[in-house]
Amino acid sequence: MKLKHVMIVLRKEVKDLLRDRRTIISSILLPMILIPVINIVMGGGIQKFEKDMNENVMVALSRSSNSPEVRELVQERILSKNPNIVLVDAEDPVKALENNEIRCILEIENSYAEKLEDGQPIQITLQYDESKTKSQAAADIVSRAIDRFSEEVVEERIAALGLDPDFLQPVQVERKNLAPNDMGNNMMLQMMLPFMISILVAVGGIPAATDLVAGEKERNTFEPLLTTMPDRGSLLLGKYLAVTLFSMVSLVAILVGLSIGYIINPNSLTIGIDTQLQGISLDPLAVVLALLITVALGMTFSGIQIALSTIAKSYKEAQTYLSFLMLAAMVPGYATMFMQASDLSPVMFVMPVMNTVAAFKMILGGSINYFNLVLALVTSIIFVILTLMFAASLFKKEKVMFRN
Amino acid sequence: MIEAIGLVKKFGDFTAVDNVSFSVSKGEIFGLLGENGAGKTTTLRMLATMLKPTSGNAVLKGYDTQKEPEKVRAQIGILFGGETGLYDRLTVAENITYFGELNGMSRSAIRERIRQLAQAFGMTDFVDKRASTLSKGMKQKAAFARSIVHDPDIMLFDEPTSGLDVTAARDVHDFILRCKSEGKTIVFSSHSMSEVEKLCDRIGIIHKGRLVESGTLEELKIKHGNNDLEELFVRLVGAK
Repeated sequence: MKLKHVMIVLRKEVKDLLRDRRTIISSILLPMILIPVINIVMGGGIQKFEKDMNENVMVALSRSSNSPEVRELVQERILSKNPNIVLVDAEDPVKALENNEIRCILEIENSYAEKLEDGQPIQITLQYDESKTKSQAAADIVSRAIDRFSEEVVEERIAALGLDPDFLQPVQVERKNLAPNDMGNNMMLQMMLPFMISILVAVGGIPAATDLVAGEKERNTFEPLLTTMPDRGSLLLGKYLAVTLFSMVSLVAILVGLSIGYIINPNSLTIGIDTQLQGISLDPLAVVLALLITVALGMTFSGIQIALSTIAKSYKEAQTYLSFLMLAAMVPGYATMFMQASDLSPVMFVMPVMNTVAAFKMILGGSINYFNLVLALVTSIIFVILTLMFAASLFKKEKVMFRN
Repeated sequence: MIEAIGLVKKFGDFTAVDNVSFSVSKGEIFGLLGENGAGKTTTLRMLATMLKPTSGNAVLKGYDTQKEPEKVRAQIGILFGGETGLYDRLTVAENITYFGELNGMSRSAIRERIRQLAQAFGMTDFVDKRASTLSKGMKQKAAFARSIVHDPDIMLFDEPTSGLDVTAARDVHDFILRCKSEGKTIVFSSHSMSEVEKLCDRIGIIHKGRLVESGTLEELKIKHGNNDLEELFVRLVGAK
């Protein structure tokens, strides 16, 4: 194997790929544009959804309880501290609920006044539609308002008995959040960023890998290439480095995309959960280790992609194999996506994809474990070597190289 | 210049090439004549070091295909039939440069060679155009130029006129004769009798992996008492 030959192949492949619209779109433009767009749209969507859920909660009284006295009780005592809940008149409340004109129905027994007076419990029925998210949320909101009303009544009754309201609360629980101040609100970032980086680096080289072996075979450029001086190891390595380079380009494109998204809308990185990204103090050594793990992940997947592209008879066959690889990369990605830094176990640091997700979660979570990071890097390097050896063995197999 | 000695190639139980031996002298055109699947491509692939013989050996310009495959590849140029095998997104010059660099040429030598080849093949107008924008004829010229950029002493042609129209096939014939006039040693595979008659100094008839006959056209005609190569071929492959 000669470095000179490797570099000639690498240079040519990069030039060739940079002129390929498919590769440019899927490896560079898509992550650069799609990620901020998804984040902003998703963030905007979530914010709007949250707003819709909590604001303008329309409720109505059932036909049997729709009297001026009950309306007054509801308006004055139950909903007075909840301006977001609006009591409306509905001729047919059930139909109005069906037609989404209201979100739930309150039914209050007619003898409520006497029962309140006598210190007896009154029955309030809350009718809502479990199949409708907004109705479900409204039932919770109204329930909380009723609970508050209930507490007020209890306090009034206790006061009437001359007792201290604390009499009914022998224990008071106070919750204190000890998470570092700068990490508290970056949960969504911890969830999304490691996942996106890992998946896109793992699949970023797919268009290049498909083109560089299966594509060459299909276009009949592969056989002339095999008759040139360089040995197959040099040809493989040149192509492998080109694929790896493109998966790294995807990584840069993601980061550029995220930065663009952040500049346009700072909430985009937290997917709009009413939080702004707070200052993160990153450990430089840990960041370097995580980036090395990411590069190794890209190299591991490049090796697998080149191998699958070599096995494939045609471009389409390679695309099919590589789409399965994409799914295979997503499984460990999703499995760890919702975990927090504190949930990570050492096993996750030795699994491809999971290890990159875990490394970034650890850094963004602010609790660095260098042993786990080094473990992830060492195992990643082993995966790189194994996958490259696998690809190299296929490049030497005549049956695979000349399948068609 | 080329010595094939008892070449055998098996793919599992199937023997694609069975004990094929022939030699080709410097400046000679040797035609491998056979039907589809006779073993012509496999033989050429073994000569080009793309496939390793199961047994037997080949020596090209003194280099053993198994012991010194890189040196063998440096001596050969190859042209396949059907698609020209150019990189569509690269220009003609870039395609030629890539193969020149891979075959150990310096940048300046490649530039000079491209200038020569562009003139020789009438490519000056399109040498800087991407291959995807070229006509079939232009692509073919580019493929010719690419195959000889490193000025190899040996040329291998694997059914180079397969799927081509008359004019394009004629261009290929002219290119082969041009290579011969430059003193290159040529192995040429075909299933076309007329092509072989027109171009080859000697021929080898290959059938089901075995070289059933070889010699000059005249020798074969005299030996089998038949002036019609097609008739002779059918009789030979039918008898085996």
